[in-house]
Amino acid sequence: MRVIIHDLENKYNKLLLQKCDRIIVVDGKYSACRGCFNCWTKHPAECFIKDSLHEVSKEIGRADELIIITENYYGMYSPPVKNILDRSIGISTPMSIYRGKEMHHTTRYGMRELLSVYAYGEMTDAERESFLFMIKRNALNLGYKHYSFTYLESIGGLGEI
Amino acid sequence: MMKILLINGSPKKKMSASGFLLTLQSLFVRGDIQRESLRTKGDHGRILKKLKDTGTVIFFLPLYVDGVPSHVLYFMKDMEGYCRVNQIHLKVYLISNAGFIEGKQNEALMQVFKNFCHACACEWCGGIGIGGGVMLNVLRILFFVFAGIFLLGIIISGVQRGDWLPVEAIEIFLRQIAIIVFLYSGVLFYMIRMAGAVNKGEFSGVKYTRVLVPSFLFIIIANIFFIIISLGKGGIFRGWLR
Repeated sequence: MRVIIHDLENKYNKLLLQKCDRIIVVDGKYSACRGCFNCWTKHPAECFIKDSLHEVSKEIGRADELIIITENYYGMYSPPVKNILDRSIGISTPMSIYRGKEMHHTTRYGMRELLSVYAYGEMTDAERESFLFMIKRNALNLGYKHYSFTYLESIGGLGEI
Repeated sequence: MMKILLINGSPKKKMSASGFLLTLQSLFVRGDIQRESLRTKGDHGRILKKLKDTGTVIFFLPLYVDGVPSHVLYFMKDMEGYCRVNQIHLKVYLISNAGFIEGKQNEALMQVFKNFCHACACEWCGGIGIGGGVMLNVLRILFFVFAGIFLLGIIISGVQRGDWLPVEAIEIFLRQIAIIVFLYSGVLFYMIRMAGAVNKGEFSGVKYTRVLVPSFLFIIIANIFFIIISLGKGGIFRGWLR
């Protein structure tokens, strides 16, 4: 299964739906993570906040491939996209192991194939480096075997996804 | 006198490691210290107003998915606009903590903050990435538990034997405190060092430290901790690892 998270206007949904099985709507009309860990310790993979991201961990966790299209913010995701990622830590379990000489959480849905990130908007060289590093870290911590990062000069480049 | 603004970016109302680190750092930083809690968008206006007569800002953040928590990212964008419009050039420091034991896992967050400072024409003055955030909380709880047991021991000893200064109990308590201070020593060292840099208005460097527990032991403790919490909350009976 292929899931797309994007912060573009809704008019792009039609085009993007042809390239994936599901789009997670980034409308910012949801709460930020409150850091309670209940999605680990009380209702696994479910957030206690009953909004559109209530079961987002399951949607992301069950996808072999996650594609994120986001505006650049200081070398990372835009706030509404990051909000979704913050709310989806239930894709991991609370249990930790040593992987790649570092502590990481075990993955609830096993290792998934690919994390692809497409970033647009103004981006300095330093931000580009930071973004690539961030995605590498995300792939490691969220349990993706591979990752890729593409800078979109313009939204017209979406056709390449 | 320019203020030093300490901003706690944890969304938690209580028992946040970031809040604890803020309290700790306010012991070492000199000057007109102001404390703020950044939890929702409703906090933005109040905090931004304070930036006008502030010279230095120290952020205390938890690491969320290798980066800045989303609610803080919203604030950073507002702060960038506010600093540009009002020609505010602050010195910015960051103390971040991760649940993972390796402080180095905060590196991506440090880079983002450096980029942020560049974008809003503020001065990036460095940061500390701390590993083992949850254990910082456990240790401070342990401190109060040990102190409580110590006081109870003194009362029992005093009432039963008339000995209000039991040497053995004092020795045990001091040993327990020494262990806690040792486990904190890396964190304390770099925080005091950063406070020195803040007091002089200098760059403090980017440093990574941790609770001084071996990684394999920390992972075992963390797993036991989450098993106990999950037993209490019931998650362990609701497809905990599936």
